[in-house]
Amino acid sequence: MSKYLDLSIKEIHELLVKKEITPLDLVDEALKRIEENKDLNAFITINDKVREEAKNLGEVDPNNLFFGIPIAVKDNIITKDLKTTCASHILDNFIPIYDATVVTRIKENKMLIIGKANMDEFAMGSTSETSYFGAPLNPHDKKRTAGGSSGGSASAVSSSLVPLALGSDTGGSIRQPASYTGIVGMKPTYGRISRYGLVAFASSLDQIGPMTRTVYENASLLNILVGEDEKDLTSVKKNKEDFTRLIGKSIKGIKIALPKFFISDIVDKEISNRIKDVINYLEQNGAVVDIVDMKYLDTAVNLYQIIAMAEASSNLARFDGVRYGFRAKDVDSVDEMYGKTRGEGFGDEVKRRIMVGSYILSGENAKVYYDKALKVRDDITKEFNRIFKDYDLIIGPTTTRIAPLIGTSADDPHKAFMDDVLVIPVNMAGLPGLSVPVGKNSNNMPIGLHIIGKAFDEATIYKLASFLEEVF
Amino acid sequence: MDKLSKEEVLHVAHLARISLTDEEIEKFRVQLKVLMDDIDKIKDVKDYDDEMMYTPIEDNTRLREDIVGEMLSAKDVGINAPAKNGSFIEVPVMINE
Repeated sequence: MSKYLDLSIKEIHELLVKKEITPLDLVDEALKRIEENKDLNAFITINDKVREEAKNLGEVDPNNLFFGIPIAVKDNIITKDLKTTCASHILDNFIPIYDATVVTRIKENKMLIIGKANMDEFAMGSTSETSYFGAPLNPHDKKRTAGGSSGGSASAVSSSLVPLALGSDTGGSIRQPASYTGIVGMKPTYGRISRYGLVAFASSLDQIGPMTRTVYENASLLNILVGEDEKDLTSVKKNKEDFTRLIGKSIKGIKIALPKFFISDIVDKEISNRIKDVINYLEQNGAVVDIVDMKYLDTAVNLYQIIAMAEASSNLARFDGVRYGFRAKDVDSVDEMYGKTRGEGFGDEVKRRIMVGSYILSGENAKVYYDKALKVRDDITKEFNRIFKDYDLIIGPTTTRIAPLIGTSADDPHKAFMDDVLVIPVNMAGLPGLSVPVGKNSNNMPIGLHIIGKAFDEATIYKLASFLEEVF
Repeated sequence: MDKLSKEEVLHVAHLARISLTDEEIEKFRVQLKVLMDDIDKIKDVKDYDDEMMYTPIEDNTRLREDIVGEMLSAKDVGINAPAKNGSFIEVPVMINE
C-alpha cells in the first residue's frame, strides 16, 4: 500500500515533478483510504469523476505546489455538477450549475476534488451531529465528535484521507474542529476570500478557510484562495502577498496579549495548564506575553446567537421548494408547500434557529435584539482594536474542553453555542484566527492554541503558529 | 420547566413558514424557551455606545458597473426544480377565483 498521502505537499510535489508518481496514484490512494475508513463518515459525496480528472492531468507538467493534490471541500461550498447538500434533506439531491469562486481557484491550480465533506446541517452546530447523514467521527477517538461545523473536513485531514480541506467558519466552525482533531485551521480576515458560492448562513460572519496538517501548507493554500472577486462585494482588494513569508522567522520581541477570559474557570484545567506551558515557552524565546483585561468577550455568544440566527432566518428563506431542492408532496396551496417543505426538509437545529431568527427580526424585536447586538458588536470590535494598538497577537485556548463524546450534545439547544465561546468573538470583529495543535491531554486527545491577529495580518499568525508547531 | 405556550411556538413557526407536527410543537415549547432566554440576556448589557456594526467591511457600498455579464441558461436554471412544465417551474395554484 503506497503512503504518498502521508508525505508533505512539498515532498508529494517533488515526486510529481520527477514523474515518479501521477495524480491518479494520489487519487487512488485517497479513495482507498476513504473506503477503508468509511466509519469516520467524513464525506457525504465522493466525486465519481475524480479518477478521470486525475488521468487527464497525467501528461501535464506540474506548474504549482498544489498540482494534482486531492482536496476535500465542505459540502456547503458549491461545486458544478457535483452534489452539494449542506448536510440537509432539503438539498440532498441538489446539483449546482456553477462553481464557487474558491472552487474555481482550486481547479485553476489543478487540485482534485475528491469529495464533499460532512458537516453540521447548513453549518449550524458544533459537533457535526446535526448532519442529515450522521456525524463524522474523530480519528483520535471514534467515540468522540470531530467538532463542527466543518467536522468532516477536520476528520478527513486529521486521518490523512486527504492532505487538505476547505472549511467555513461563522462562529468557530474551522478552528474548533481543527482543535478537536489536532490539525491546523485558519479563519482568514472577513473579506479575504470570496464567499461567492458558499451557501450563506450568517452573511456578515461567514468566511471560508483552509484546514491542513501543517502551518506551511495552510499558509500556502491560503495564498491561492484569497483575492477580490466582483461576484462578492464583501471581498476586499489587497496587494498580493505570500502568507508563508514569516514562517521560520524569529519571534523575539513579538508582543502577545492573553485575555483573562480565555483562561478563566470555563476552561478545563488540563487545557489551561497546557496554555501556561506555551506561554512559558514563548517567554523563554523572547516573546512578551501579558495577561490583559478585555471587555465584552463574555457577551460574544449572546451576540452570535442573535446575529447568526437573524441572518440565517433571512438567508434560509430561499429554501421554499420552488426552484431547487426537496418539495413536500400532497400540498394544495403555495403556503402549504412552503410550510411542509421546510417542516420536512430541515432538521431540528436549523428549524430552531430559523424560528428564533424570524422572531428576532419581527416588528419591534429587531430594535430590541438585532440592533442592540450590532451596537455591542461594534464595541467588541473596538475593544480588539484597543488591544491591537499595543500587541501583535492575541492568544488563548481554542476550546474549553477536548472533543466531546458523540451523543452528549443532542437536544440541548444552548450547548451548541457554548462549545464555541472562545472562538466566536473573532467572527464578531471579522478578524483572522487560527487553531494550531499544542499537544494532547492525558486521554491523548488534541489541544489547540487559538491565535488571533490584526485584520489582514494572517502572516504574523502563521509565524507564531509555525514556531510552536515545531515544539508541541 | 419553563415553556412557551403552544400558541407562541405556532406564531414563530408561522413567521418562519415551517409546519410542525404536534410532537415537534411540544419539543420546541421547551427548546425555544431556552433560546429565547439566551437572547434576552442582551438586555442586561448596559455599557455600550450607539454605533452599529453591520459588517466588518469598511467600504460596503462598492458596486460593480451595471453591465450585462455572463448568464445562466434557462435550461440550467431549471435543472434542479422539483416540478416543471416545459421551461416553466410548476407550483400549486396561487390564485383561486
